[in-house]
Amino acid sequence: MKAYYTYFKLRFITGLQYRQAAIASIITQLFFGFTYIFIYLAFYQSDTTHIPMELNKLITYIWFNQIFFSLIYQFYKDKELISLAKTGNISYELLRPKNIYFLWYFKIIGQRLSMLALRFLPMLIVVLLLKKPYSLIAPPSLINFFLFIITLIFGTFLSTALTTLYPIITLKTLSDKGIVNIFIVMADIFSGLVIPIPFFPTFLKNISALLPFQYISDLPFRLYIGNISVKTGFLSIFMQLIWTIILIISGYYLLKKTLKRVEIQGG
Amino acid sequence: MNIYFKSLKLHLKSLLEYKASFIISFLSQILVFFSYYFVIVSLFSKFSNVKGFTLYEVLLCFSIIQIGFAFNEIFSRGIDTFENLIINGNFDRILLRPKNILLQAMASDADYVKASRLIQAFIILIIALINLKIKLTLFHIILLLLMIISSIITFFCIFLVSASFCFITIQGLEARNVLTAGGKEIAQYPIGIFKKNIAFIFTFIIPYGLVNYYPLLYFLGRVNKLSYAFSELLVIFYLIPSIYIFYKGIKRYSSTGS
Repeated sequence: MKAYYTYFKLRFITGLQYRQAAIASIITQLFFGFTYIFIYLAFYQSDTTHIPMELNKLITYIWFNQIFFSLIYQFYKDKELISLAKTGNISYELLRPKNIYFLWYFKIIGQRLSMLALRFLPMLIVVLLLKKPYSLIAPPSLINFFLFIITLIFGTFLSTALTTLYPIITLKTLSDKGIVNIFIVMADIFSGLVIPIPFFPTFLKNISALLPFQYISDLPFRLYIGNISVKTGFLSIFMQLIWTIILIISGYYLLKKTLKRVEIQGG
Repeated sequence: MNIYFKSLKLHLKSLLEYKASFIISFLSQILVFFSYYFVIVSLFSKFSNVKGFTLYEVLLCFSIIQIGFAFNEIFSRGIDTFENLIINGNFDRILLRPKNILLQAMASDADYVKASRLIQAFIILIIALINLKIKLTLFHIILLLLMIISSIITFFCIFLVSASFCFITIQGLEARNVLTAGGKEIAQYPIGIFKKNIAFIFTFIIPYGLVNYYPLLYFLGRVNKLSYAFSELLVIFYLIPSIYIFYKGIKRYSSTGS
């Protein structure tokens, strides 16, 4: 266990070096937050007969998407791990007497958390300083807030389990484009990053209910704004756990199976 | 110009060596693009209009911008990923050849997978036109073509200006994302639905509004001024300073040496 923790720490500390990149991405993130808000604002000013949530709740949801972006975004291809798989440097990884799946899992979670550490506070402060309709709202109750924190943490485990699949698939198919990209776009849409799930047309909302992606960020954010009842929230924690376990187990065995017949592509 | 088309043909040939990979990438790009108009369709399942614009009017606006962007991603991809040319030193090779530098840079890469976006954008354009029930006269069709061409020119200018920045920064600028990706996000909608100052920036500084808003108003029969109909022609004036900046940048260029 200590080895995994060291990997996690190493990645976390390395990640903290990239401050310039963090500043650039904070600016981009803020810009996109405003862009989405302006678009929704125009819609909300035109017609409010069938809205699935109030504007101030939606704005909080949008800002959370941006603030926690590094934890939850799905277009996360770990360059180092992908290139391991593609160049054959995986052989070094195989020499280590530790389980590769969990090595990768903790590396990714370390990377994601270090990205969050650099971006979280400055963005939160900027957003809190904004004028009324554009700022964050308080959660309706303390229980909502605690549920938000818990589901966000479990959501991160779930999201990392998904991301760990990408280098594994790359190892199998030798391409990080095709299938991996299809997977990523699906995750992007159905996790509510493109548009919050309550806005989905009914047909797609039904599909999303069967998939794991909604438990990554849509669930915690909607618990915070009070768009999901506390009771459903408690039940959903179990769903998060079940999906995380399923994904970790399938990633673990897929990697094991792939490594049995891995061919090193040169060296 | 000959060398440009020859390079494009070579890129296509090398791509077709990996047919299966091309097909899968093509499919994944279809999905990516789907997520763009999925937002618009979803929003209109909850809202009846946006500042008086209906679903198909917005989709028309959307498709014109997307066609312009996708076209440039295919045919001037080398400009879009210009920092690669500089970082790996290939730009030196281009400078050595006695041919047009800009054309060579454009032809240094071509992303045919993005054709999936172009095709989808055209399909959406047609669907929007059918559902809008506008009587298409020859004038309308010419207007539409002009809008598409000016959309292509606009993105070409944006690519070119941000490529010019690479001469100074070497690395591509994150700010470019804000200009292209973020601006494009806004330009997918009729610019008039936004606040005045946003509309101003994206009409005069980055001329999206001239391309797909003012001509659109005329096209949809909301305004009957010819100045609106032909506002997209102003985009041509953005071409001259953009090319000038690019060549100015080349003068400052010092190789990265690799």
